[in-house]
Amino acid sequence: MKSKILAALGAALLVVGLAAAPALAQQKTSGFKLMMTPKWTGFPYFELTGEGAKAAATELGDTLVYAGADHAEVSLQVETLQNFVTQKPDGIILAAIDLNAVAPVLKDARKKGIVVGTYDADAAVPARDLFVNQLSYEQAARVMLDAALIDAPEGGEIAFIAASPTSPNHMAHIKIMTDLTQKDAKYKVFKPVDTQFANDDDAKSYDVAVNLMQAHPNLKVIISSSAVSAPSAARAIEATGHVGKVWATGFALPSAIKRYLENGSEKAFAFWDPWELGYVAAYAVHQKLAGKFEPTEGAVLDVPKAGKFTTFKDGEVVYGKPLIFTKETVGKYNF
Amino acid sequence: MAAKAKRQWPFWEFTLIVAILGAGAWSSTLSPYYLSVDQLFGSTRAFIIPGLLALGLAVVVSLGEIDISLASIIAVGTVTLSKFSAAGVPLGVSAPIVVAIGALCGAFNGLLVAKWRLPSLAVTLGTMGAYRGLAFIIGSEVGYTDFDDSYLWLGSEYIFHGIVPVSLIVFALMAILVWFLMHRTVYGRRCFSIGLNTDASWFAGVDVTETKIRAYALAGALAGLAAIVWIGQYGSARGDNADGSILFVVTAVVLGGIDINGGRGTISGVVLALFLLGTIRNGMGLANIGGPTQTVVLGSLLVAGVLRPAAAAALARLSNPARLKAAGPQGVESSGQE
Repeated sequence: MKSKILAALGAALLVVGLAAAPALAQQKTSGFKLMMTPKWTGFPYFELTGEGAKAAATELGDTLVYAGADHAEVSLQVETLQNFVTQKPDGIILAAIDLNAVAPVLKDARKKGIVVGTYDADAAVPARDLFVNQLSYEQAARVMLDAALIDAPEGGEIAFIAASPTSPNHMAHIKIMTDLTQKDAKYKVFKPVDTQFANDDDAKSYDVAVNLMQAHPNLKVIISSSAVSAPSAARAIEATGHVGKVWATGFALPSAIKRYLENGSEKAFAFWDPWELGYVAAYAVHQKLAGKFEPTEGAVLDVPKAGKFTTFKDGEVVYGKPLIFTKETVGKYNF
Repeated sequence: MAAKAKRQWPFWEFTLIVAILGAGAWSSTLSPYYLSVDQLFGSTRAFIIPGLLALGLAVVVSLGEIDISLASIIAVGTVTLSKFSAAGVPLGVSAPIVVAIGALCGAFNGLLVAKWRLPSLAVTLGTMGAYRGLAFIIGSEVGYTDFDDSYLWLGSEYIFHGIVPVSLIVFALMAILVWFLMHRTVYGRRCFSIGLNTDASWFAGVDVTETKIRAYALAGALAGLAAIVWIGQYGSARGDNADGSILFVVTAVVLGGIDINGGRGTISGVVLALFLLGTIRNGMGLANIGGPTQTVVLGSLLVAGVLRPAAAAALARLSNPARLKAAGPQGVESSGQE
């Protein structure tokens, strides 16, 4: 009799266990397969985001593959993403080259249950689950103008170098900076006089900077959101003997502008920590997969080693930790 | 015809087929995801656009000329399509117009090259920039994505139970068309004869100028068609569309056995070279091999393609020195006009 009850109990447990098994599988909290592609591989900035993401994946018990073409060409990025989808990962992390061109393949990925997270440069909103934005457009605009104030506290004419008229973040930064110089008392000392395009190309940025200085004799500061153009402008200023008269600033890797800060030809540049940005991006996708984070407006992503980050409209998680490098601080960073 | 084809062993085409099979086998060991029908057909989509350019470029190169402005013509095409879509023009009207605009851009290249005898590399380097600039002007500052669904069909749909991309069928039709043109018509023979010896062709009564302009116009028209495929595939029209894809196109043409100096080669070789490059890139991509490695492989294949005629000549000299003496150096290689 007793044994019968035990057997029934065992069978019941087995049934419950079997029923619970799929539910348990859905609530997997670790061991995800993540795949990441930057705009292009080989550039120190993106390599660091990849290393950061790998570190997060290792800590969380996931695997992460980092791959991509060696130049920023959208059809190659789409091909990479297509190859990712074929390999059936749990999550995809990317920095989009063209927000719309990557949308069809990403939508297909989401239909297959893959969680898609963007960082650095966003994809079209319906094509991804979340976007880890390094700085909000306004933060970026303000930190660049703050750096320009360190260069030229008395203000004067400023000019912008963007990658191209189609690069959404550069154009948004320039628009907000222009607005701020008209509306915010702190920045009213500046007068924007020109915007030029240099395609994130070193030689072209140099030429553009030289032309800007020739076209505007009273130019005080050249500002660029491009980590390629800002150091090129600094080089052009030094090479054409404008040191002390014109300053370059904007976003640049510390390693690229260390020289100019240390020899005094430039005073300040801005950036953020790419390693941590990649770390947070991978963390966000993992937490979403594990069911511990839903990127709805107001939700907070808790990353123990990096901080707490708030989600804004359309699943935009703002990382938002700008850094300003000066002669005194630039030595602390190794990227 | 048959007897001639038998004598001229299409050595290079067979080499390419063997290489494709080898690359496929290698890819299937690289990645467990490689060997599946959907995957294989789906992966061809990445090569349709460069493939259409390669077909047009093959005709231009057979004349001993080059056109590196084709990718910029795609951009002119995509932004023009975006204007038509925004204005509500049906694709049936806008598609022929865009193909015609492509042909016009190409014909302009041809005019400069053939009529005024300017070096084609310099001319198309110039128009590469000019057409790109034009695309940015037409496309204004922001990309356009709000395409009517009919515009997307050609580049995004699949047929036969959702396995075969429509764009692959389009490419196959165009490949057959260009093959027929180059190997079965008088026009094709004229192209190869101009590539071999322009002056001799002129003395023989070939209208060199017109033949060249037509070749460039054809390449431009195919770039216009590629623009329509682009819109379906990526749903995005911007001035920078297809920027930087020309290395792949030139590699396919040269590796396919079209002599870079003109006069020799086959369209089937170009198509096979596209499949070979596609297979290699698909396999490496699925194995997540880094971009720099892939570019090195692509560049090496381009060099191999350029070296091929010299290597083939050396090989022929070794294997059959007597025949060489009798036929002269021109006789060793297949002239491609079988």
